[in-house]
Amino acid sequence: MIEVDHLHKVYGSTVALKDVSFAVEPGEILGFLGPNGAGKTTTMRILTGYLPATSGTAKVADYDVHTNSMAVRQRIGYLPERPPLYPDMTVEGFLHFVARIKGVAAGDRSQQVNYAIQRCALKEKQSALIRQLSKGFRQRVGIAQAIVHDPPVIVLDEPTSGLDPRQNSEVRSLVRSLAGDHTIILSTHILPEVDATCNRVAIINRGQLVAAGKLDALMGQLTGAVSYDLEVEGAPADVQNILVAVPGVDTVELASSTVLDTRHRFRVKAGERDPGAAIAAAIVHAGLGLHELRRHQASLEDVFLNLTTEEPSAAAEPVESAAVAVPTLSETPSPDETATVDDSEAASTADETPDQSAEAP
Amino acid sequence: MTALRTILRNLLAIYRRELQSYLASPLAYVIAGIFWLLGGFFLVVILFSPEGLLAQTVQRDQALQLGVTLPPLDVAYEFLNYYFGILGSLSMFILPILSMGLYAEERKQGTLELLATSPLTNWVVALGKLLAVVTFYVGMVLPLMLCVAIALGTAEPAVSPNLLLVGNLGLILLATSVLSLGMFVSSLTSSTVVSAILTFALVIFLWIVDALARAIPGWIGGALEHLSILQHFTDFTQGVFDTSSMVLFLSYSLLGLFLTAQSIETLRFQRN
Repeated sequence: MIEVDHLHKVYGSTVALKDVSFAVEPGEILGFLGPNGAGKTTTMRILTGYLPATSGTAKVADYDVHTNSMAVRQRIGYLPERPPLYPDMTVEGFLHFVARIKGVAAGDRSQQVNYAIQRCALKEKQSALIRQLSKGFRQRVGIAQAIVHDPPVIVLDEPTSGLDPRQNSEVRSLVRSLAGDHTIILSTHILPEVDATCNRVAIINRGQLVAAGKLDALMGQLTGAVSYDLEVEGAPADVQNILVAVPGVDTVELASSTVLDTRHRFRVKAGERDPGAAIAAAIVHAGLGLHELRRHQASLEDVFLNLTTEEPSAAAEPVESAAVAVPTLSETPSPDETATVDDSEAASTADETPDQSAEAP
Repeated sequence: MTALRTILRNLLAIYRRELQSYLASPLAYVIAGIFWLLGGFFLVVILFSPEGLLAQTVQRDQALQLGVTLPPLDVAYEFLNYYFGILGSLSMFILPILSMGLYAEERKQGTLELLATSPLTNWVVALGKLLAVVTFYVGMVLPLMLCVAIALGTAEPAVSPNLLLVGNLGLILLATSVLSLGMFVSSLTSSTVVSAILTFALVIFLWIVDALARAIPGWIGGALEHLSILQHFTDFTQGVFDTSSMVLFLSYSLLGLFLTAQSIETLRFQRN
């Protein structure tokens, strides 16, 4: 339904889009994800025929957006970042106006306007002036004007920005309900939104498409190695030895938070294989208490940050592992510290420890 | 045929929306109110003030009785000449305010993006807007025209209604030209205030051109005179209907439309 092919956009000397290509199948919702200023709005404006691309082509419903602009404009519903509303019109009057300029035949106009009003739950406000509407209602009027001519393709630029959580979920469910009959592109920088509404995502950063595909597949592919969080009762060194011996386990780290003195938390990183069951079996077999075994699922947030961080990934990696390594090092002496009380830093604990040990016998 | 119908339908949609926004705007009523107040005031002053036309005719009648002959006075002609002169000047102040929001408001509210992504050409949008604002202006002029018609109806010998019609046509053509250029100015900015000030500067420029046309002798002055819309307006107010003047007014209006369409087209190539 939508085909974007090697799109470039240059404003003066700044490159806004660099070789962006993707496609959206009929009835799908594509989440267009990226930090602010990544080129989402530019891409959408090119698709809607508002901006010309510097090079490359974009097709909507098999019409080229540049050479066949009028045909595309008829088949596309567009909600810009700021809903384009005339404050001194009524909701109904405005939708009639939009239906007229979008080329809805005179006979179908009332029906189409009613359809949009009903779809966006604007019945109670249909004769109110747009000026008097709250932000949530304005956003809905914005969506209503995008669907009033029943376009096959709907482009929504940040449809939930600035809404409160309830309005947010209303808009999301509205968007979801529109999929199927319509092909939708939705841009956002809010990650749960993509999770909640979209079948597929395209992640864009600094004008370049960094990832595109089905959400699940993308997550699996981008998170790569599996990792586990464990809480085990037993000596850390023993546990580490047992865990490293499990096939598929790459590294074992003693993690920071210790709930009790005898329990320790570990972070296990594994390769492509999923050794969860083997880890559990090994620990239980060794007679150690397994209190928690949790597979660590990289969230969309992680994926997104990973893909859109400013530094190249090679530079980002060491920083991350250093941050993990520091607590591991500082934590490692702590078991020794409780065993041999000799630090002046532990003076106060040293006072209490003999008391406790004195009472114990 | 269908293409023409589409164009007309879009034109009508833009026209109606624009006109509706004037009717919903308090500013438009304030402007119309001031225009009617001042227009009515000058109407009264021209006729009834101590130096007014009626007082002058009385003086002439008295002088005639005393046996002194003063040069004859065509009251109706003088009246229209004064009156359209004043109404024209008054309009020059008011027109920039009428045209200031035409595109600046759309740019400010982001609705230009809606128009630009709808199956409409820039020309249709610009023409629809121009027709709407001209209609509003005609609505402002009509009540005053009625007053003038009533005043002239009492004139003896009777005055040809053509004189009044041609004068008003001139006024409306002048307004269309200025509004069209004002619309172009409005398309350059998203601030209505800047738009109004720039359009007013343009109006002053037209006055200067007119003054220069009168002051400079020779072919330069002649050329300026041909180009000065105020000069052509004066012709109309004197009851002279000239096709070439009409063509000139329409050319200015077309120029405004063309520049507006071009300016909106270039706007798309800019970064916000």
